[in-house]
Amino acid sequence: MNITKRMGLTIFVGMLPALIIYMGIAMLPVAMSFYYSFFNWNGLSHMSFIGLDNYVSVLKDGIFWKGVKNNLFMMLSGILGQLPVGLFFAVILNRSLRGLKLYRSVLFMPVIISAVIVSLIWNMVYGTESGLLNNVLGLVGLDSWKHNWLGAPQWGMLSVSITYLWQNYGFYMVIFLAGLQNIPEEIREAAVMDGATGWKRFWLITLPMLKETIWVTLIFSISNSFRIFDLIYVMTAGGPAHNTEVMTIYMYTQAFNNSDFGLGSSVSILILLFSLIAIYAAKFITRRNG
Amino acid sequence: MRTSLGKKTIIHLVLAVLSVMNIIPIIWMVVSSFKSEEDYAINPLGLPKLWKLSNYASAWKVAHLGTYFWNSVIVTVGAIVLTVLLGALTSYFLSRFHFRLRGWLYGLFIIGMTIPIHATLVPIFIIMKKIGLLNSHLSLVLPYTAFHLSITIFILVGFMQAFPKDIEESAVMDGAGLYRIFWSIILPMTRPALATVIIINFIYNWNEFLFALVLINKAALKTLPLGLANFAGTETRFQTLQMAALSMALIPLVAFYLAMEKQLVQGMTAGAVKG
Repeated sequence: MNITKRMGLTIFVGMLPALIIYMGIAMLPVAMSFYYSFFNWNGLSHMSFIGLDNYVSVLKDGIFWKGVKNNLFMMLSGILGQLPVGLFFAVILNRSLRGLKLYRSVLFMPVIISAVIVSLIWNMVYGTESGLLNNVLGLVGLDSWKHNWLGAPQWGMLSVSITYLWQNYGFYMVIFLAGLQNIPEEIREAAVMDGATGWKRFWLITLPMLKETIWVTLIFSISNSFRIFDLIYVMTAGGPAHNTEVMTIYMYTQAFNNSDFGLGSSVSILILLFSLIAIYAAKFITRRNG
Repeated sequence: MRTSLGKKTIIHLVLAVLSVMNIIPIIWMVVSSFKSEEDYAINPLGLPKLWKLSNYASAWKVAHLGTYFWNSVIVTVGAIVLTVLLGALTSYFLSRFHFRLRGWLYGLFIIGMTIPIHATLVPIFIIMKKIGLLNSHLSLVLPYTAFHLSITIFILVGFMQAFPKDIEESAVMDGAGLYRIFWSIILPMTRPALATVIIINFIYNWNEFLFALVLINKAALKTLPLGLANFAGTETRFQTLQMAALSMALIPLVAFYLAMEKQLVQGMTAGAVKG
């Protein structure tokens, strides 16, 4: 509808509360983080400008890079774990068979459970003494496979990433299902007529037709991997000895445990930068290929 | 296309096995939550020797679940009301009127979906401290609202845009004000999308942890995820109590999911499926 001047004012006033809350608490703080990142400040003291010193000390800190490395590990585990598993279930579920809805419900369920509850459940699954995993291994005679899943340096990240997979693949499964349902039935039927078998159909028809959906899931998976916090904070708090440290944990520790708000802010800007670069790189490739 | 009986059986079998495997951690935890501490230590895989229902009563009390539930309800409902009311009004203006900054404002609201909340954590803590809201329900209601306005507006604008053009024009002719039109014509028509938006806001707010961790440290104000994480950190000796507490937190969530599955799945994947 076209509007008059008086209506314009009404509209402005009507949108003002949402704008104030959104700008004040979601957007402005990003700029404030950027500003804080140039100061030495513990939240109480006088703020003293120190230029890029915070960034320099973060980039010189081996623990930060350990976090970056683990973030990249989570990113890869998302791309190579969550997406294929989600696609696998989507392909199986994409047919009109009675009873399939029930499986979809069960497989999606972990997505809606809070990461805190998921982490606490899996902490017990991984428990060394009474944990589900070690006891099942013992039951089938694989005692030598028992490990301190969260505590051992070589298993920590892998264990965390399996929980991450468990909680999130259902989300991608549903997106892939929507993508699969958009593939016209005639194309499938034509492929069957031409004698294409299951695997061939999947590689030559289904996958290329899903290209757009795959890019969308890729972007989601990448940007989510840089935001991971709850899961690791509750399972290991980044430990032991920073073994499962990620950037968000590092940022939280610096800002809220060490009260170094300037340094914490500089890390949060780096997290923003990393995730934006990853998202825009994926988008750029999409556009070039699409 | 028809699927042969043999293939049908295989599909059902594979899916049944994988689905059960998928929820085994949950089933194992719920079963173990009825064991005594000794029983769990000796026999972590089997059924409880004695189904110890009293675990639930003690966990409820020891973990202060009542308090945490209540805080979660207040914060979640408060944020939903604020988000949906302000989001719907904004969506109405953004979807039904032509004005110069419309596209720009819509873009501004949508960009919030790409901002990691970590980039705002320190300033929000400082702001809440300065305006004296640290350790209050409002300190969570405001960020939850701010960060979920984006997806709310995205879904509602998409829905309202599809209404026929002349709906409010005749109402304006009759002399109805914009808010009257919003309240008595647009809002009732938006009901299905409102349901979706309310449901996903519920799940996001109910499960939120990081803001609560930073902005709340009084035990009496902790929400359920924060309270549970704390309880698990302090009561490591009593695993079965922990399991009982987790089961109690899980049951309403799963019930809610099973009742609202369609809207939840649609809403949570809306950004990915449409965008």
